[in-house]
Amino acid sequence: MARFKELDPILHSQLRLAVISLLASIEAAEFTYIQEQTGATAGNLSIQITKLKEAGYIKVVKKFRKNYPLTLCSITSLGQHKFIEYAEALKHYLNPEKQEN
Amino acid sequence: MENKEKTMTGEESLRIITEMINKTKVNISQSSFHLLFWGWLIFAISLSEYLLYKFTNFTSPYYIWFFVIPGIFVSIIYGFVNGRKAKVHTYADRLYMWTWIGFLIAAIVLFIIHSKRLDTFATYILLLSGFPTFLSGFIIKFRPLIAGGICFWIIALIVNFAGPSIAPLGMPVAVLFGYLVPGYLLKNKVGHGTI
Repeated sequence: MARFKELDPILHSQLRLAVISLLASIEAAEFTYIQEQTGATAGNLSIQITKLKEAGYIKVVKKFRKNYPLTLCSITSLGQHKFIEYAEALKHYLNPEKQEN
Repeated sequence: MENKEKTMTGEESLRIITEMINKTKVNISQSSFHLLFWGWLIFAISLSEYLLYKFTNFTSPYYIWFFVIPGIFVSIIYGFVNGRKAKVHTYADRLYMWTWIGFLIAAIVLFIIHSKRLDTFATYILLLSGFPTFLSGFIIKFRPLIAGGICFWIIALIVNFAGPSIAPLGMPVAVLFGYLVPGYLLKNKVGHGTI
């Protein structure tokens, strides 16, 4: 269990991890799309997106489409790097013997 | 996804990552439109050219190919309008778009280079058309489109060695198997949104 502490606390949360995993393989996504895919409430998603943005892991751009506000999210290079690091740490946690060999 | 934060196990983290990555597949709703639009346009143009050549005294039936120009504008406008409406933009969507823009540029260059020898133009345009079709099949992971690309190359060979009476039929047959058949098969999948 000690190894688990090495996992990035920003990413080691269900919703934030879901958001970053979704954004890792796409160029950009609207807030509503992320909400649909994660099944989170708008309020909670908004809080978690702000946390990821403040950490510099994602970029949030606010636009207008036909007078309606539109929030577009994309992963930053820091976010990509942290996501890969998290996945590597997770692999190490799940298969400690394999990694040590 | 639960709203409250709680401690996750490694297995849970892995499940979330896998689940989310699997949700981000290529949007195919646009692909089927372009395949069917270009399939029918090229099919109609090439078949009309053949019929004009075979049954009329029209000296320059290839002028009918200028109908491709408004087709380019229709495709660009449709792509632009639907691209703006899309809620998600994947790297594969972008790769798909640039593959076809690259093909359009290459086709224009080929037309300029080959403008004095339009009788053999079909072989080269078929050869060129196979590449974006084949590649698009891999991008959207759709085998009928991969087969469509191969079909263009096989027909390019046939057209090159066939006599002038058969060669003009190469293009309509190629778009039938290269664009229209995969286009309709793809359209059936559009209900699901992604493949």
